[in-house]
Amino acid sequence: MQSCSVPRLAAGILVAATAFSVAGAQAQQAESKLYEILDRGHVIVGTGSTNVPWHFVDDENELAGFDVDMGKLIAKALFDDETKVEFVKQAPDARIPNLLTDKTDITCQFMTINTQRAQKVEFTIPYYREGVALLMPKNGRFENREAMDAAIADGETVHIAVLQNAGAEDTVHDVISDVQVDQYEEQGLVFEAVDSGRADGGVVDLSNVMWLVKQHPDRYMLGGKGTLAQSYGCAVKPGDQIWLNFANAALREAMNGRTFPEYADAFERWFGERPPAPQTGFPAELR
Amino acid sequence: MESYHFNWNVIWRDWDALLGGLALGLEVAVYSLAIGMIIGQSCAFMMTAKSRLLRVPSRVYVTFLRNQPPLLLLFFAYFVLPRMGIRLGREESVILTLGLYAGAQLAEVFRGALVNIPRGIAEAGKSIGLTTFRVNLLVILPIMFRNALPALGNTFISLFKDTSLAAGIALAELTWQTRRISTETFAVMESWITACVLYVVTCTAISYALSYLENKLRIPR
Repeated sequence: MQSCSVPRLAAGILVAATAFSVAGAQAQQAESKLYEILDRGHVIVGTGSTNVPWHFVDDENELAGFDVDMGKLIAKALFDDETKVEFVKQAPDARIPNLLTDKTDITCQFMTINTQRAQKVEFTIPYYREGVALLMPKNGRFENREAMDAAIADGETVHIAVLQNAGAEDTVHDVISDVQVDQYEEQGLVFEAVDSGRADGGVVDLSNVMWLVKQHPDRYMLGGKGTLAQSYGCAVKPGDQIWLNFANAALREAMNGRTFPEYADAFERWFGERPPAPQTGFPAELR
Repeated sequence: MESYHFNWNVIWRDWDALLGGLALGLEVAVYSLAIGMIIGQSCAFMMTAKSRLLRVPSRVYVTFLRNQPPLLLLFFAYFVLPRMGIRLGREESVILTLGLYAGAQLAEVFRGALVNIPRGIAEAGKSIGLTTFRVNLLVILPIMFRNALPALGNTFISLFKDTSLAAGIALAELTWQTRRISTETFAVMESWITACVLYVVTCTAISYALSYLENKLRIPR
């Protein structure tokens, strides 16, 4: 070992360096869930199965809804094939744990972006902005919102049904004031109250109203939107910038870029209207 | 569990609303019992009548109503009847539902109390020249009522507890108020524990009052 020559030493360094750089490259690849998903050949998306129009089992016994379409959109961005996706049906309280334990790669399940949750997971950019809205029956006491407002101004009692919840009164008053608020213990009973004429309207999520008006235009109408908004985003396990960047790129381009038609079709399918198309030239979303 | 922090202030703040809910429940139970007693006594006489024309309808009514969950009846009265053009208020819907339901329960109670009255008593009434109607009204009814009193008390307590079902149609009784406080303040333990205690105390008090009444009205033997 004493007679270690310079060329041998140099060769040794070269081999070690090469090995290190190869290992480094492999380590870099293995560090992101993105490469793991590409190797696996499909993406695992966590979502629910019990909330129309977000995620539910349709007439053909298939999972459907806007969240499900977002999952397919990400699969298409990954593999150019929207069927390369496995959905894990989970309850809302399993959204974060399943991400943290790697049971899911990404969760798209009408998840409100808030700062408490953002301390546990990382959110993508939002793909929908939720608010509350007034659902009015077509055959109800009032022909439209103006007639309802006029009746309220005349001092008539107007009943508005809402789900019994923290801040339920405030939620209703965000959409309509000076009404009698009837708090029901289940969402189904809110719709029942509207259908039976027990309530003159119901305050529920905007997406619910849009879905119902689309499904039953002869029965329901939109009676106005509230001002309070919350954003729905997908979420990933924290600490994986590569995968988060990819998911963001997929969603952003679906809302503002080349894949806009896919996003817009899904939006129209579940909410009954087409979102505004992106304008060419200056990327307006950065304004 | 260890991290749960009790905050009883939210209960005191809404104490009046809770007691108001309790009072509303009692009021509904009293009205329902009144309706139930009228229906129950009428049905009991019909069920023991000789004529099939009286027996069959009363039997059908009792069978139908007794084998129905009261919550379903309540939803029917509140959400379905308006579609048929019958529109009762929130509180009236609950009173009617529980009254009809109690009527069917009490029909059996009164029928039992009626068949336990010795024949001789009615015959004694007739022998002093009373008509059948007057015998029933003046002789049989008071005895039947006294016979039925213990079961009547139980029915009242059960009716009072059943008023909690009215939370389903957003009537602001005790259970509804409790859930409101629980969802608004997240004081889940405090609100439900308070409601449990209020129900138990009220039912126990009713039960004592009724046994006092029973002793007062006991048939001397």
